Amino acid sequence: MRVDLTDSLSRLLPGEAFGHSVPSSLWAVLRTGVETVVAPGSTEEVATLLKWASEMGVRVVPIGTGAHMCPRYPRDPFIVLTTSRLKEIQHYEPADLTMTASAGASIRDLSTETAIYGQWLPFDPPDVPNRTLGGLVATGLSGPLWAGYGQLRNHVLGATIVCGDGRALRLGGKVVKNVAGFDILKLMVGSRGELAVITSVTVRLFPLPVVDQLLVLEATDVSELVSTARAVATAPIMPASIILSGTSDGGRLLVRLHGAKVSVEADQKSLEKHTGVSFEVRNTPEAESLLVHKRDSRINAELAVRVWALPSRIGVLLDVLKKVPGVSLNADVYGGSVRAYLPVNLSDIESSLAGLQKDIEELGGTIRALRIPAEVNASSYFAKPLVDEGELAAGLKRAFDPHAVLWGIE
Amino acid sequence: MASLLTGKVSSGMTQPLPSSVASDLAEIVGHEHVITDPDRLLVYESDGLTAYRRSPRAVVLPSSTEEISAVVGLLHSNGIEVIPRGAGTGLSGGALATPEGVIVGTARMNRILKIDVENRIAIAQPGVINARLTEATNPYGLYYAPDPSSQSTCTLGGNVAENSGGPHCLKYGVTARYVTGLTVVLAGGRIVELGGVGRDPYTTLDLVGLFVGSEGCFGIATEIELRLLPITEGVRTLLGIFESVESAGRAVTKIIASGLMPAAVEIVDGPTIEAVEASVFAAGYPLEAGAALVIEFDGTEAGLDLDADRAEQCCLEEGAIEVQRATDPEHRMKLWRARKKAFGAMGRIAPDLLVQDATVPRTKLPEVLAGIDNIGNRYGLKIANVFHAGDGNLHPNILFDRQNQNELELVERASKEIMQLCVDAGGTITGEHGVGVDKREYMTLVHGPAELEAMAAAKRVFDPASLFNPGKVLPAVEVKEANESRSN
Repeated sequence: MRVDLTDSLSRLLPGEAFGHSVPSSLWAVLRTGVETVVAPGSTEEVATLLKWASEMGVRVVPIGTGAHMCPRYPRDPFIVLTTSRLKEIQHYEPADLTMTASAGASIRDLSTETAIYGQWLPFDPPDVPNRTLGGLVATGLSGPLWAGYGQLRNHVLGATIVCGDGRALRLGGKVVKNVAGFDILKLMVGSRGELAVITSVTVRLFPLPVVDQLLVLEATDVSELVSTARAVATAPIMPASIILSGTSDGGRLLVRLHGAKVSVEADQKSLEKHTGVSFEVRNTPEAESLLVHKRDSRINAELAVRVWALPSRIGVLLDVLKKVPGVSLNADVYGGSVRAYLPVNLSDIESSLAGLQKDIEELGGTIRALRIPAEVNASSYFAKPLVDEGELAAGLKRAFDPHAVLWGIE
Repeated sequence: MASLLTGKVSSGMTQPLPSSVASDLAEIVGHEHVITDPDRLLVYESDGLTAYRRSPRAVVLPSSTEEISAVVGLLHSNGIEVIPRGAGTGLSGGALATPEGVIVGTARMNRILKIDVENRIAIAQPGVINARLTEATNPYGLYYAPDPSSQSTCTLGGNVAENSGGPHCLKYGVTARYVTGLTVVLAGGRIVELGGVGRDPYTTLDLVGLFVGSEGCFGIATEIELRLLPITEGVRTLLGIFESVESAGRAVTKIIASGLMPAAVEIVDGPTIEAVEASVFAAGYPLEAGAALVIEFDGTEAGLDLDADRAEQCCLEEGAIEVQRATDPEHRMKLWRARKKAFGAMGRIAPDLLVQDATVPRTKLPEVLAGIDNIGNRYGLKIANVFHAGDGNLHPNILFDRQNQNELELVERASKEIMQLCVDAGGTITGEHGVGVDKREYMTLVHGPAELEAMAAAKRVFDPASLFNPGKVLPAVEVKEANESRSN
């Protein structure tokens, strides 16, 4: 960044906002060298920064931890806005099961606090404890637990945001039912910081389950487990999550049951009757360790894609993906999505991805690059919105970020 | 500007529809499905909130997405406003006609297009009655969770427009949680697909989430993809009788804070019990009761008695006079009767009823209920409370006589004070009935100018010329300013 720009910004924000670092992996994602990292200490400072950026024509990339960003291509000078100084719990009323916290608060810290009152945030995307609340909302990821608890988008009750041009808005509220006006809060969930910077979030919490039991079924090949997994997904009970994982070493079906001891035991019997198989039972902490290992062990893989299709097509998706040598698969059976971690020593990454893309799309699915080596052009491997959806999204982008300060929807 | 006081709207007389437009509409949908006869239009002069009335210029009843597209295209190209309408059961005047507007009704679009048992989704046209979807999916062991009180008459399209709730939304969430994809007709008749199960939801913004609850101001949903749930194995229903509504409110807080997850927790207060017991819907509630709490658990049969025992204990600890438990389906229906028939029963004790709707944090229920009682006493008005206590969604019902002009004025003032009370307690002006025309002037109690302008900007993306349901949701001043800024 040019020196005069840095000087002008430093006159607007306090010294504490400067001199921060971000993970080196972020620069690989952004495909460029270090520019300025700014850490505002309040919503007002975020607004000041974005107003300045609008006037100066500087682009801003908002990050939580910066560890889970999709590959992007900078075109102009930019600065990174980190929410690392926005960490406080602003309001927590356990009896209402609602919490308001600043965007940079980590899920781990929030969970430590809510656990004191027997409550939690039932979302489990990869690396969830290390994510920030704002980052979790911006990525919109619920994880496989959405089967039992519903999606994150339905449990975000309110947020404070700063639009690309520096307008601060308070959206939603602190109550679980609220239809007072158009639901622009929903737009922010999963918007990846493309419309606004989220500075605080109010979420609905849930009681921690009395029993968190994991049912496990193993096989030499993940495909052998598909019919059982789908039978679980269409059973008359609703498990908390249904995960199918597969590597060259074999496959595992992981079914998580939450509830009182008697109901979890009854649910297990019901599932075994419905599927005709006997599950192995794992209880915490062994169960948790297995789930976390399956969820997080490959998050730093250099090459990863996510594939979506109708849940009933999960078997054919896995059949396509497992043809890639060395692939590691994690499927959300209820939701119909698969994360595939691919080896980077593929002889030709681009043609391998193109082949996968063709096969998946022929099956009615979509594929999206999550992590991709710097030398590969990632833009071809983003699932595209339909044309009309894209136009509406672009219109909303102009409404919230009229000067295109924040990266994203073009 | 509409006014509850007069029951009229003052922004102009309804204009007759040009005969050329009427005949073009008939070309699209058939003569019998274009209504211009003033007598037949009377049916459409209000929705469930009858305080606001205006006959539309015409009503058109298309039967397909393509017909809706053609109708909207024709009307918009003539600069004519479109007011979407489902069954007309809304309680905020959302389907009230404008002087320039034509109502496009979905009554003929009443087919369930697909039930995909394996993926637990259904695709329905907007005119399908809410309860019919559950009836149609029950044989497959599935049902549709959102259950507004009007579910036997309200439509799924109306539910999408209002983001409707219902008693069991405490556990299962409101309509937005279940809408996975939409086909919508937007300005000028453009047909657009949004979302859908099996598509990567992260390819774009949550346009489905934005459209749900847009109260007909963005466009018309013509095909709705909805998520279904498996029918639960068992249910337990309890009825707690309390001396006061405040102690019932404290029991609600205790039940939720104890980690229980009831499917529904509903309160009926003393005046409501009095009305129900004096009506044909009498359920045998003790007349001296200050409040009754209906609590329901559902799920795996094995855990339900335990949950019910704990909830009963919470009620007793907060001073419940007695707690009954349903022993069979008929008994269950009886315990629910006062809640379900409350609105009908109130007709016995007053000629008119204003059903209010607001949400407060659950822990604020006792103080807000005391505050509502105080407002009622101060204005000499009878207020009966029947509401979704589990999620803090209040329905204070003000009983009055429209013929008494003095009382009408008091009702309007009391209503505004109740809204302010709820907002001051950290709540909001509507939890499930929507803003419509009724609450648009209360929007400034919960939103600042910047937030209202952001909502107006979102509407302009979908409906740049404001030809879908104008005069709803956003306060008049906001719309005026937005129009001025657009023309500058």
